[in-house]
Amino acid sequence: MSLLRLVDLSTDIALRRGAVHALDHVNLEVRQGETLGVVGESGSGKTMTVLSVMGLLPPGGRVVNGQILFDGRDLLAMAPDELRRVRGVEMGMVFQDPLTSLNPTMRIGAQVAEPLRVHQGVSKAEARERAVEILRRVGMPRPDKIVDDYPHQLSGGMRQRAVIAMALIRSPRLLIADEPTTALDVTTQRQILELIDDLRDEFKMAVILVTHDLGVIASRADRVAVMYAGRVVETATTEELFRAPRHRYTEALMHALPEAAQGREGRLYSIPGLPPDLSQPLTGCRFAPRCRHATDACRATDVPLVRAAEDHLYACLHPVTEAVTFAPRGAGEARPAAASEPILSVRELVKEYDAGGKGRVSAVAGVSFEVKAGETLGIVGESGCGKSTVGRLVAGLEEPTGGQIVLDGTDIGALDRRARRRMHREVQLMFQDSYAAMNPRMRVDGILTEPLEIQQVGDPAGRRSRVTRLLDQVGLPTRALERYPHEFSGGQLQRIGLARSLALEPRLIVADEPVSALDVSIQAQVLNLMRDLQSELGLSYVFISHDLSVVDYMADRIAVMYLGKLVEIGPASQVVRAARHPYTQALIDAVPSPDPGHAPSPATAIRGELPSALNPPTGCRFRTRCPLAQDICRTEPPLEGGLHQVACHFPLREEAAAARP
Amino acid sequence: MNDQTRVRGLWRNGLEVFVDNRLALAGVGIFVLLAAFSFLGPLFYSSDQVHTDLANVYLSPGTAGHPMGTDGVGYDQLGRLMVGGQTSIVVGLAAGLLATVVGTVWGAIAGFAGGWVDAIMMRVVDAMMSIPALFLFMLMAAIVTPTVPMLIVIIGAFAWLGPARLVRGEALTLRTREYVLAMRGMGGTGGRAVRRHIIPNAIGTVIVNATFQIADAILYVAYLSFLGLGVPPPAANWGGMLSDGLSDTFSGHWWLLYPPGIAIILIVLAFNFIGDGLRDVFEVRLRRR
Amino acid sequence: MARYLLTRLGQALVIVILVTLITFVILHFLPGGAARAILGKEATLEQIAAFNHDMGYDRPLWEQYALYLQRLVRGDLGYSFQLNQSVAEAITQRLPKTMVLSLASTALAVVIAIPLGVVQAVRRNKWPDYTINALSLLAYATPIFFLGLMMIILFAQVWPLLPPEAPQGFTLGEVLADPAGLVLPTVTLAVLTVAVYSRYVRSSMVDNLNENYVRTARSKGLSEGRVIVGHTLRNGLFPVITLLGMYLPALFSGALVVERLFNYPGMGLLFWQSALKRDYPILLGVTLLISVATVLGALVADVLYAAVDPRVRLKASRS
Repeated sequence: MSLLRLVDLSTDIALRRGAVHALDHVNLEVRQGETLGVVGESGSGKTMTVLSVMGLLPPGGRVVNGQILFDGRDLLAMAPDELRRVRGVEMGMVFQDPLTSLNPTMRIGAQVAEPLRVHQGVSKAEARERAVEILRRVGMPRPDKIVDDYPHQLSGGMRQRAVIAMALIRSPRLLIADEPTTALDVTTQRQILELIDDLRDEFKMAVILVTHDLGVIASRADRVAVMYAGRVVETATTEELFRAPRHRYTEALMHALPEAAQGREGRLYSIPGLPPDLSQPLTGCRFAPRCRHATDACRATDVPLVRAAEDHLYACLHPVTEAVTFAPRGAGEARPAAASEPILSVRELVKEYDAGGKGRVSAVAGVSFEVKAGETLGIVGESGCGKSTVGRLVAGLEEPTGGQIVLDGTDIGALDRRARRRMHREVQLMFQDSYAAMNPRMRVDGILTEPLEIQQVGDPAGRRSRVTRLLDQVGLPTRALERYPHEFSGGQLQRIGLARSLALEPRLIVADEPVSALDVSIQAQVLNLMRDLQSELGLSYVFISHDLSVVDYMADRIAVMYLGKLVEIGPASQVVRAARHPYTQALIDAVPSPDPGHAPSPATAIRGELPSALNPPTGCRFRTRCPLAQDICRTEPPLEGGLHQVACHFPLREEAAAARP
Repeated sequence: MNDQTRVRGLWRNGLEVFVDNRLALAGVGIFVLLAAFSFLGPLFYSSDQVHTDLANVYLSPGTAGHPMGTDGVGYDQLGRLMVGGQTSIVVGLAAGLLATVVGTVWGAIAGFAGGWVDAIMMRVVDAMMSIPALFLFMLMAAIVTPTVPMLIVIIGAFAWLGPARLVRGEALTLRTREYVLAMRGMGGTGGRAVRRHIIPNAIGTVIVNATFQIADAILYVAYLSFLGLGVPPPAANWGGMLSDGLSDTFSGHWWLLYPPGIAIILIVLAFNFIGDGLRDVFEVRLRRR
Repeated sequence: MARYLLTRLGQALVIVILVTLITFVILHFLPGGAARAILGKEATLEQIAAFNHDMGYDRPLWEQYALYLQRLVRGDLGYSFQLNQSVAEAITQRLPKTMVLSLASTALAVVIAIPLGVVQAVRRNKWPDYTINALSLLAYATPIFFLGLMMIILFAQVWPLLPPEAPQGFTLGEVLADPAGLVLPTVTLAVLTVAVYSRYVRSSMVDNLNENYVRTARSKGLSEGRVIVGHTLRNGLFPVITLLGMYLPALFSGALVVERLFNYPGMGLLFWQSALKRDYPILLGVTLLISVATVLGALVADVLYAAVDPRVRLKASRS
């Protein structure tokens, strides 16, 4: 029995000239009590679909065709007042960015209870009581106090709980969650997703979960709709979709995941090209230009959804017949450790910031590690753990408060300014947002020539040929040289950023979240390129990311940071598959797996909030949230072990024999 | 791939956006017309703007030889509008540009230096800004005799405060942009950051602000004239003519009041339109698709 | 909060001291020297020497400045030989009248500008927005005395509803007894203020309407009116408080012109008359006083803003 049905829904967004056809005849169905996952890359129309349902389209947005049937009644044909009541009482929505989706000058309680006050005329006192009650239900600590707080007094995870409480206080029949955890850390993500699951059962409501993350879908949705370029290309039960996807795009998406790589040396499948421009008229299958199975028929005819099974529809002329396999974890072989000398050696690195009379923020507290030539060291951790600061210290963008950075045998701290500037050639930085890291008024040739000019490498003619070769190396045409950064897509910008960091022929590249802003298919292109260039040029990488599966795919060794401390470091396969630190294990278990059969153990979930780095806990900094903590944890555990070291008084396991020296 | 194609690339883009903005185009049109009227007009229409002609005062428009009539001392009104326009436009442009240059340099130094240098420099700006503009102008005009160059200096000496604050703010934000960080990661110096990254990115804001400064300077000249501290006769400016016209209103000499008043409004509007158009240019052409 | 207040207070103090430095420097650059400029052309050399000695102008510069500050702290702004009264007294007689004009026009402007700005923001890029925008730009481009004159022509001459001149009373009471006379000056001064304020309110409201929390509010099924009044209005109007402070210098400049045009015997008119007569003690005294008023006004506005906005209030109180 369907609660919500979209029939041939089309939505346009008007531009200064023309319009973007964001949705094109979308048909979807949500049944009572189920979770429908809507998955797709940016621009696929997944968010526009739910915004059309909620009537929250951006300026210029308009539903131009179709029906939105809620409980059998067409929302588009309803009177405005009635429509507002239906949307306000029977539906609730949770948004992507909890930091900005609450009114900054209104108390939490007033915001949460507002729907009751407006739609049910509940008294102020009762509204407050109900707000406290629902805040408690969504797991807010001390709800009777928080009800009078303002949003900026809460952390991101807490704010998302408040938004969920706001959506639930009306006991809606449909909850729409649009990327509810994308802005949150992975351990918080797990808490929030579990909360939504629990509440769905308790309130007997249906949930639409919109996300770009196949892992989130696999672990939380009953059925899935895959969207591409404004259309639904495949719908199926979750189990069926992951076992036997039919559409070539769905298949490509799964292949592009780092988890799907065949072994440590395997390349990721990357979808070539970019999604189509939706302001242009399109014919045929929209994925055809990027599909390796496409034929003339795909390009010429409109491909309708056809039924594969009772609950499985797809729109593809050349559907998948073979099954997708995910590489079983642990199948990877550790690469033979490069026997060479370390190119980078960091010893007892400390970085503190002045907090304006309130004390000092301890961002990095005594971190030591080495990176060998040709090796990739991954650094993982949640926001605020100090991983980016380590990267910036290594790249020489900030001065350490204490400790040593030894590059190629030379202690950087002992050099004068000039020698240090020359040293910059050896270490280069790659940014998360390459657009922000490029001067918008410079053309690509200027951007790529700049490092050569700064380091006075070659003459103008030599620089020009070097720049052309760089562009070629990262797979961009020469005519890109004459363009400005804003003319490129995210993946192309990341390539240009990589080319720039290669210009000085460095031996080490510090890549800070280099693919975090990219869609899966584009991410695969960039990761492949980074790997190719590494083997071609013998580069070392320090690969910083919050995404454990990406780091697992890229890194030879992984270092795990928590609140400024290194808690565990070792060979990638060991750290990911035989974690020794409870924090590492919690991190691993919190990552949603794209394998629907995979269920994380509930025992490792960590609770509570990240403590402030202003006055960090003494001893083991994780002890305030650790399920295993005891009194001895007040003393600082040393980082111990052979190749796989851990800083914990109660390590989860002994070091695997294979890792011992 | 030489420098010229680079410049043209951005220029052509910007020009398209500017031309799209009809008000901005109208602004340019109005300015060109008024400037041509003031500076080229006297070539085609000559009148005596030095000697008074007390035999022919308050002639109505349409009188032979005086298509727009004459004023209280016999100056031909049409010719006087041309001469007055020259002063208004010259003082406006010069004072606006002077303020922009001084303010930009001051703000840039404060922004780059930071720390206590910045604190002191900005408190000086705060202090001067707390003295209302017209009071300061009148105080200075009471000390020195206003001539055209003096007027430019007096207005410029106050008007630089706005751009100084603006440029300092720009410098502070640009300094922390990631592309400046990236450049430092390559081993680049602070000087290079300023030359290659900060100035090219701040220039748009400065240019847009300059157009508003010019508009304000033209208004300031008018206010000073109204308060009796404009350029003394026989020199003229639209503001002075307008304030002279005020006293003649009730005698029905409307031709002495409305033409200079409308001319001021038009030229101030023109520069505001141009400024708005330029702002679009600098914002839009860098906007990511 | 206390910390914030202290820093802001310290800043204001520094600015005030700098302002006194500026007036002190100007005093010393007066044509013919301070004594000659203050006493007038007819003063004899003996009178000048005596004056210089009395005022301490024969001592080292820093001592002069110290003496100058001392006198200021005592409320001694100097003596106008042309008016034959102390500067402080001359100002005290006129200040209330300027305050009445400024406050009335600001209140009027706020009451008009806020709805205009809100309407513009809500109907942005539609005809009400364009119309109001065009009108406020026109008001901004029109010299305020020209505008005032047209008001006089319209409402005093063509359509004789109101007197063309402001009340001429010597005391505040006499001025307030003739409210009709205050209408045109107040409205004239308010028009320019409305132009500035409504643009500001518009952009502040547009910023807030584009925020994500507005979408959240709409998702609760609130009516558009409730979204605007209950959510964006408050956030959009907070910054207007700081604008009240920032706008003071322009307001005083406007008052100077309006007082001259309507012959309203306030501080602006006093300043204008003194400028023509080169009565420097009055000029410097008024300049100093009005600058200090501006600094204090901005300080009060900032503190008020910090007090009403929970983001600033709580952040400041935690430090």
